[in-house]
Amino acid sequence: MGEAASFVPFAYVGAALGIGMAVIGAGLGIGRLAAASAEAIARQPAAAAQITGATNLPLFLLEGAAIIAEVFCLLIVLMK
Amino acid sequence: MNEHAQIPDAHAAGAAAEAAGEGFDAGTLLIGHIANSDPHHPLIPLPVVFGIDLSVTKHVFMLWVVAALVFVTVTLLVRGYLKRGMTAPTGAMNALEFIVEYVRDSIARPNLGSKWLMAWTPLLLTLFIFILAANAIGLVPIFEVLGLLNHYVLHASPDSFLGTLLHGGSTITANFNVTAALATITFFAVIIAGSRAHGFVQHWLNLAPKGLPPLLYLLLVPLELLSMFVRPFALTMRLAANMTGGHLAILAFLSFVFIFTETFSTALAGIGVGLLFSVPVSTGIYALEIIVVLVQAYVFTLLSAVFIGMAIHAHH
Repeated sequence: MGEAASFVPFAYVGAALGIGMAVIGAGLGIGRLAAASAEAIARQPAAAAQITGATNLPLFLLEGAAIIAEVFCLLIVLMK
Repeated sequence: MNEHAQIPDAHAAGAAAEAAGEGFDAGTLLIGHIANSDPHHPLIPLPVVFGIDLSVTKHVFMLWVVAALVFVTVTLLVRGYLKRGMTAPTGAMNALEFIVEYVRDSIARPNLGSKWLMAWTPLLLTLFIFILAANAIGLVPIFEVLGLLNHYVLHASPDSFLGTLLHGGSTITANFNVTAALATITFFAVIIAGSRAHGFVQHWLNLAPKGLPPLLYLLLVPLELLSMFVRPFALTMRLAANMTGGHLAILAFLSFVFIFTETFSTALAGIGVGLLFSVPVSTGIYALEIIVVLVQAYVFTLLSAVFIGMAIHAHH
């Protein structure tokens, strides 16, 4: 714990924690989506195409959220 | 697939041999292989118009290359098909017809409805094919191979046209300025679609649907206005970050070869790590990147269709 002026190492810790939490969040969310859609298709195989279509959009929105988190963490690391 | 992973390997070997005196700087190498060329040393210097420097950098050059490629390919295919009399398509026209029908039936029709289908499908098709082509061309290590050629054969100076093209970065959609331009197209398309469907004033009045308690409008309208800008931003960052991330991962794994060579001071460590770990993993990520290329083009087009559809069907 030296001078208060050097907070740069904490930026790295913050970025690493941030990207870890973003991946945990995305993993949990996408896992729930996949489980729900698999169960729905099992209940009614005839609607498989519609269920896949309905799952696609939220899936990629969630993935987009995780990617945006990654971009900001990368920004922290690169811009210090 | 293997040649694609090994060619950047060999090129980076050339670069590392040159930089052997300073040690291996992974960070600079990775960024250099994805980012645009130096704005102060453009490929073709052009004048500054209204404060915007029009000089041609590496990504602008690749934009032209991708646009020319897509234009020539699609035009030739469709012209040939029309000349043959528009019966069942053959060969590459088959693939193009599959893409057109897929975008029209799976992306455009469910979101736009049949009334506005033919009005907006051309835009969606343009977005899909351009983003697909741009992503896919980014996967081909053109400038890395060029760098190999330059290092062993041509020896062009770093300031020449060839020199500025070097060291990777053929993925234009990894540049968030390019994807921001595409998202801006979507932004204006949504406004124009809503205006054509409901009239210019009514499109903006649709932001606040009728029959809600007045206090809710105070919350809803700013939220809707904000989301109008957040959506193109998300489109931008999603595409740019996905493309950058894939290339970054591939380059990072290939850098292990040189990091290990430097740490153990023997080329054998680098070669061992390369053969056993770096090249197989990079090949796997390259395969994953092909899926990501297709999916990201699909998602951008799908979300654009959804937003246009939301503007058209605002009254539910």
